[in-house]
Amino acid sequence: MNLYSKLFSEIVKERELLYILAKRDISIRYKQTYLGIIWAIIRPVLTMLVFLFAFKNVAKISDISGFPIQLIIFSGVLFWNLFANTFQAVSNSILANHNLVSKVYFPRLIIAFSSIAVSLFDFLIGLVVYFGLSISLIHTIPATILLIPVAVLLILLFSIGLGLIFCSFSIKYRDFLQMIPLIVQYGFFVSPIVYTANSLQISSWFNVYAFINPLVGLVEYARTLLIPGYVLSSWDFVLLSISCSLLIFFTGIFIFTKKESSFVDYL
Amino acid sequence: MNIVEVNNITKKYNLNQMTEPVSLRNGVKSLFKKKEKAKDYYALNDVSFSIQKGDKLGIIGNNGAGKSTLLKILSRITNPTAGNIQVKGKVASLLEVGTGFHPELSGRDNIYLNGAILGMSKREITAQFDEIVEFAGPQIANFLDTPVKRYSSGMYVRLGFAISAHLNPEILIVDEVLAVGDADFQKKSLGKMKEVAANDKTILFVSHNLTAVSNLCNKTLHLERGKVKQMGETAQVLKNYMSEVQSKKMLYTSDTFAAGLGNELIRLKYAEIIPQLAPGLDYWTVNDAFRLKFEFWNTLNDVELNVSIHLYAITGECIFNIGNKAQKFNEGIVSTQVEIPGNFLNDGSYFLSIMVVKNSSIVLVNFDELFEFEIADYREDTTWYGKWPGYVRPNFPILMKQETSEL
Repeated sequence: MNLYSKLFSEIVKERELLYILAKRDISIRYKQTYLGIIWAIIRPVLTMLVFLFAFKNVAKISDISGFPIQLIIFSGVLFWNLFANTFQAVSNSILANHNLVSKVYFPRLIIAFSSIAVSLFDFLIGLVVYFGLSISLIHTIPATILLIPVAVLLILLFSIGLGLIFCSFSIKYRDFLQMIPLIVQYGFFVSPIVYTANSLQISSWFNVYAFINPLVGLVEYARTLLIPGYVLSSWDFVLLSISCSLLIFFTGIFIFTKKESSFVDYL
Repeated sequence: MNIVEVNNITKKYNLNQMTEPVSLRNGVKSLFKKKEKAKDYYALNDVSFSIQKGDKLGIIGNNGAGKSTLLKILSRITNPTAGNIQVKGKVASLLEVGTGFHPELSGRDNIYLNGAILGMSKREITAQFDEIVEFAGPQIANFLDTPVKRYSSGMYVRLGFAISAHLNPEILIVDEVLAVGDADFQKKSLGKMKEVAANDKTILFVSHNLTAVSNLCNKTLHLERGKVKQMGETAQVLKNYMSEVQSKKMLYTSDTFAAGLGNELIRLKYAEIIPQLAPGLDYWTVNDAFRLKFEFWNTLNDVELNVSIHLYAITGECIFNIGNKAQKFNEGIVSTQVEIPGNFLNDGSYFLSIMVVKNSSIVLVNFDELFEFEIADYREDTTWYGKWPGYVRPNFPILMKQETSEL
């Protein structure tokens, strides 16, 4: 615990640098684009439209577990993108900033943490779009959205933790970089993004699965906050997912701080 | 009081890892394979020294002596394999100008970004913002809100240095790359450095430029192949360093044909580089001409031979390649000599290779990197000690005169 409190105080000390690096990433994100931040809207909306077409027009499904397909898919995609973008940004953060790492010293975690700014920014824009969608389809936004920061935090902890693990190993072994797109590509389908946990036949293996893939519990929990009347058959798997996220987060920080002093020798 | 104390630091790199690509496969393989004797390379080997508050320490040595590694360890960028360092006070290390500049961001944003990266707080930057811009020059002031990717390289460097010059650490670690920009700006930067040096600050300054070291530093550390060769008062260390560089033999001889470098057709008997040192100086400077002489055994009869000489900078670029017209030769010893004028090569380290060529097209032998030598900088009556840019440094006359007295 000593390690974590020391890291925490170091990061607080360097918060100005953290802030300015985050600001840099956000301000260059849509530089020299005509549409600017509209791109942050286009991507999740397009993903939703593709699946909407597949479900409605091809598979002739009109709702998922009794809720509008759009809300299920968009809420899933929103949180999935938060995970995927954060995970990829953190994994690449040290390599992407190698010019800093090899020339100046400051706690390397600052770089990893600042890299989540863009995905968080995109998430917030997507959330606004979701509200619009929710109002137009079911004419309401539930009060539970006040708890969304909790869901966001949990997903961030998991994404950062996993990202730190991949970041630490990929600096020496670039093989890990090759795995990242695979995880992002297939993870989308093995997590309840365009379907729900309720639409699966829940059996005993499901809790184990929710522990191995914490996005199962985290995305489902997030949906209960976004979609009024969305209830889970059980909270056990959510708790398992949360405990796995915390485990991954602390493991990631631990591995990263163990390896950070040798990063520069392999860049 | 010792402000920096370095105790027995060693930095070891594994040569196997540097030659073989680091990959998961090799990583897994090495788990199972019997540990082969690791070929280690010691960038630094048991280095100890200490400096006191207010000292300006110059760090000199050839390429590969471990200067950069030492700076990186002192700046905490990398850890030593063994040993420890103790640094008392706030450190700022300038290993590069404009670290972390983002090309898409404006000059203004980059001042804040770079300042924060170098350890300044936002308040410190804001307080000194106008001074930084003024130091960087009027050109920068006019383009403060333009992305730095539109800056000329000169503007880029000036802005970078201007930020660095306003850092206020107790210990400043500077790499020679900081001596940049045009002559005018150089003067300004050096003035700033001297101003910093005049007060209580501690400076560690790595440089190839002995003139700059002797002007700025009261103490000097000479590293050689990762070890401390000597450390002490600058004047004494520089004197020893110079006489040593010059006593290094730039001579190759072989007594018998069989022992000579080369192959069955051509073998090297003798080769030497002889710099013509200026009277009173015991080291080779940019002013001095040098002669390359060599002799080789030729085993071929009635053959058209010529030689081709390549000179490379330490970074690998070829500075020049000279050849002569082919002539008829018979079996026996062939001697060659060429003179390279002074005021031609810039200061730096060079490699020289010699080829013997048949019929102007077939390379019979290549004595690759036969000699490595170093040419020191030399300047008189100058206030500017930055690295002189360029690979060559000819002394072409520039004519300048007043045409009229009217405006």
